[in-house]
Amino acid sequence: MTSIDVHELTKEYGTTRAVDRLSFRVQPGRVTGFLGPNGAGKSTAMRLVLGLDRPTGGSATIGGRPYARLTEPLRTVGALLDAQAAHGSRTARSHVAVLAASNGIPMSRVKAVLEETGLGDVGARRIKSFSLGMRQRLGIAVALLGDPHVVMLDEPSNGLDPEGIIWIRELMKRLAREGRTVLVSSHLMNETASFADHLVVLGRGRLLADMSMKQFLDSRSTPRVRLRTTEPGRLRSALASKGLTGVQADDGRWAIDGVTAAEIGAIAAGEGIPLLELGDERATLEQAYLDLTADDTPFAALTTRDRQET
Amino acid sequence: MTLTAVLHSEWIKIRSIRSIYGSLMAVLATTLTITVLIMGTSGQEQAAQAGSDALLNAFFALNFGQIAAIAFGATAVSSEFFNGALRISLAAVPRRSLFYAAKMATIGGSALVVGLVTTFTTFLVGQLLLGEHAIGLGRPGALRAAFGGAIYLALMALLAAGLTALLRSAVAVLSLLIPLFLIVPFVLVDVATAVVRYLPDRAGQAVLQQNPEDGPGPWTGLAVTAAWAAAALLAGWWAVRERDA
Repeated sequence: MTSIDVHELTKEYGTTRAVDRLSFRVQPGRVTGFLGPNGAGKSTAMRLVLGLDRPTGGSATIGGRPYARLTEPLRTVGALLDAQAAHGSRTARSHVAVLAASNGIPMSRVKAVLEETGLGDVGARRIKSFSLGMRQRLGIAVALLGDPHVVMLDEPSNGLDPEGIIWIRELMKRLAREGRTVLVSSHLMNETASFADHLVVLGRGRLLADMSMKQFLDSRSTPRVRLRTTEPGRLRSALASKGLTGVQADDGRWAIDGVTAAEIGAIAAGEGIPLLELGDERATLEQAYLDLTADDTPFAALTTRDRQET
Repeated sequence: MTLTAVLHSEWIKIRSIRSIYGSLMAVLATTLTITVLIMGTSGQEQAAQAGSDALLNAFFALNFGQIAAIAFGATAVSSEFFNGALRISLAAVPRRSLFYAAKMATIGGSALVVGLVTTFTTFLVGQLLLGEHAIGLGRPGALRAAFGGAIYLALMALLAAGLTALLRSAVAVLSLLIPLFLIVPFVLVDVATAVVRYLPDRAGQAVLQQNPEDGPGPWTGLAVTAAWAAAALLAGWWAVRERDA
């Protein structure tokens, strides 16, 4: 299968290190979210993978080959970098046709990808008349043009309306289910949480984390239980006997740190305390991410790459 | 990835942007219109003057057509430097030398074809308006001037194209080349005539004259223009190969 391998990749602009000894692998069959604040080096890393910028050091390969060595690269890798880059004076159809022609992709694919991205009716219109969302769809049409094994999308939901965001989310999940390698950058945490299986997190050009979404959430949050009970006094003493303390909020809900619902459920059942509501509170990706970047050593790489998967 | 495929792609790029394709067509339209205007009004008068060069008169309007050729070469390349369009192009054709060669071949080739149509049409239509002063393609130097003029137009387009790849801006190239061709020769003509004769436009235009005065001969002059264009193309090639997109 075709994976993206980044090894010790470094890019300096003058004295600034935009990408700093970055190493990670993007595996096929899952959606990998590429996270980091603006300026973390996500777009630079993607440009380096595509051979558009020259690395100061290190290498990036796709299926073991540098991008520039791929014959008809659009058939292997589809990328959306900047939806604004399409020349406004061209029609959508001729923009895609230019790219299809260079890679020997039949013109029937041009029509197919425009239809797939909802641009079938506006193919003859000039791109400058397109809304931001339509340009984004056009960029995605180009990414899908060569039916590639690897799809790299830089902030794909920029400018998309709510239906568009749901569409792109389902599209990315489908591409991963089909066994393709999908790398999607975003600075929006909640959105990434809705589609990514795996995360690569950058900060100031360095790798902060490379692990599954679940691992990332678990490693970055302490378990917490929320519950409601009709007998707060008995619960408090039951918790105290186990060395736990709960905090009761104004709405009567309790929050207990450091335990899971399974443990509290067992305690309550043993004591015969009625519970009206009990559940684990899942950390959000946003909280986990902020926790990661707020560490005292925020830029120490934290890698738990699953070797058995490779 | 084949050269043919990339050439095809580059041709669609030219065809699909109205301002670029328009500049290419303007080479013919401008040259022909100005020829008709001049020949229709003062052509016979000029041809009757002693010492007038019949070939130079026939192709005089190429002075204006070449501006369109320069604009064509510059805009065809500058469209790649608009909002990072080059990234999309190079993602599709990552072999930069192949990309650059195909682009320049397409620009040069289409300018040459349009140039040939322009020089022959201009010559034939212009002479129709000259009555008794008309000359034919059999006139010594006429065919040379028609073919040479077309090559000259293609070289001017390539000169502009190469410079645009280096400077990444059509505006910069047009504001460099147009004054160089339209103004500098008149300023320098008294002080440095010899230098002016080797500027890209003056040197190449020797091919359009019946009897070029001193300075390079017709084909030598065209070769000087070709050297200028080659230098610009090499500089552009270096820029496209070495710079980050």
